[in-house]
Amino acid sequence: MNSLIIAQMAVSGALMGLVYALIAYGFQLTFATSKSINFGQGELVMLSAFFSLTLLNLGAPYWLMIPGGLLFGVVMGLVVERACVRLTLEQKSEGWILLTIIFGLLGFSAAENIWGRDDRPFPSPISSDALHILGINVTPVEISVAIGVFAVMGVIELFKRKTLLGKAFEAVSADRDAAELMGISATHTIMLSYGLSGMVAAMAGILISPITTVGPTMASALILKAFSVAVVAGLDSGFGVVVIGILIGVLESLTSYYLGSGWRETPGLLLLILALAIRPNGVFGKVSIRKV
Amino acid sequence: MLQVENLRAGYGASEVLVGASLHVKQGMIVALIGANGAGKTTTMRAISGMIKPTQGTVLLNGKAVQGMSASQIARLGLAHAPEGRKVFGPLSVEDNLLLGAYHRLPGFLGFHAMAAPDLEKIYNLFPRLRERRLQAAGTLSGGEQQMLAIGRALMADPKVILLDEPSMGLAPVIVQEVFGILRRLKEQGITLLLVEQFAKSALEVADYAYVMDHGRIAVEGTPAELHRNEKVIAAYLG
Ligand SMILES: Nc1ncnc2c1ncn2[C@@H]1O[C@H](COP(=O)(O)OP(=O)(O)OP(=O)(O)O)[C@@H](O)[C@H]1O
Ligand SMILES: [Mg+2]
Repeated sequence: MNSLIIAQMAVSGALMGLVYALIAYGFQLTFATSKSINFGQGELVMLSAFFSLTLLNLGAPYWLMIPGGLLFGVVMGLVVERACVRLTLEQKSEGWILLTIIFGLLGFSAAENIWGRDDRPFPSPISSDALHILGINVTPVEISVAIGVFAVMGVIELFKRKTLLGKAFEAVSADRDAAELMGISATHTIMLSYGLSGMVAAMAGILISPITTVGPTMASALILKAFSVAVVAGLDSGFGVVVIGILIGVLESLTSYYLGSGWRETPGLLLLILALAIRPNGVFGKVSIRKV
Repeated sequence: MLQVENLRAGYGASEVLVGASLHVKQGMIVALIGANGAGKTTTMRAISGMIKPTQGTVLLNGKAVQGMSASQIARLGLAHAPEGRKVFGPLSVEDNLLLGAYHRLPGFLGFHAMAAPDLEKIYNLFPRLRERRLQAAGTLSGGEQQMLAIGRALMADPKVILLDEPSMGLAPVIVQEVFGILRRLKEQGITLLLVEQFAKSALEVADYAYVMDHGRIAVEGTPAELHRNEKVIAAYLG
């Protein structure tokens, strides 16, 4: 009986972990091309979720809301790149750290002003009636989270490996100056990475909201864990974020079951501290986050 | 094909080039030689847009390109194989070559089929690259990486190639192999500006040569003329 509960906790934790992994993957995309990340990524997730909810409330069908929400994420990613990142990178400064944090703060206030402070349910046509698989309860909504995460990451990885534009993306990551000499615009590639990163964040918001509800504070809850995943896994391994994301999700879920939900942030934080102390390059990584 | 007039460029406050001029005519190999730190690499960087010239003009096929970004200049037909090769280490040999042709291939699909005839040419020129086409470029030997850097530049089907010290760090046999390739490419009519420490070998393949000293052109002439210049002999060919 007890082991069944543990298995149950592990499964729902793992599904949350996949969402952290997806957000962390968004960090990897921009870090690869520009060695910068959006510290307001959590707010980008939240704003995209609110925007998608608004689309639904305006009567958009669910399957049309998804591309609409993703497009919103892309646009927000491009705004972050243009407003907070590009100029500071041109100056070779690290001002993007401060500017993206400010973007997050502005995003938070904007959400409170536009949509209010309350958490709101996010309707989904996918059923939340539990299915019993090997004695474990899993809802179709939860399964859709896993499918969505792997679909988005899979499509982007395929893009990077199979198309020439994707190879150019990898070339800019490997050696920006040499890529420019091939006629590849580093500026456009960095824009692309921010657009994709925004899309990934929006997908995370759309996937998680039916389970957690949507509210201005959802950003801080997600972003801390996404950071832990990115730091522990390293900033250059897509496989790594999935493994570490699942690990942190499971640990968090078990901790909150055994110690109470007040403790749920602890495993992620402990791993973050451990990783920074012992393996700043990440378990799977080659690049040090200290280069940020 | 490439006309550089009175070029000035540097790094931040330190000026390296103080008015360099040189011409590369179509189908010619032009050598640029000079002591370490003379400004040869800086000249190439200023031509290809890796650094912005502060003064002077660069005409590529008659079009002024100074001040443009490196990627714009590359798309106009200038291929720069930079000092230190700078191959894309994590990518395969073949991906490196395909990226050389980036600006003339479709971005999503069909690029491989379109590039196949050119890949074939490069593999015939460098059979060792064919053997290693799926290997990560970063794991190639220095000589193989140099072949890849040259092959990647050729893939652009450029109007002019800038080649910076292809012999750097290579064993003498491999250096001879590289110069053999340059001779074959010359027969095929490529237009090349070549920076080289091995001045003697460079003058053997070149049609014309410039000697750079402290950021300006000190001497120029055909290889035969330079071989008669005592100062040049003493400094570079002795
Ligand atoms: N990135 C840089 N930042 C600052 N100064 C530089 C930089 N690169 C080169 N220099 C300086 O510019 C001058 C010319 O360097 P450059 O690399 O053009 O010489 P070179 O003729 O190519 O020499 P070598 O034969 O050693 O390659 C040198 O004094 C060098 O110290
Ligand atoms: Mg040099």
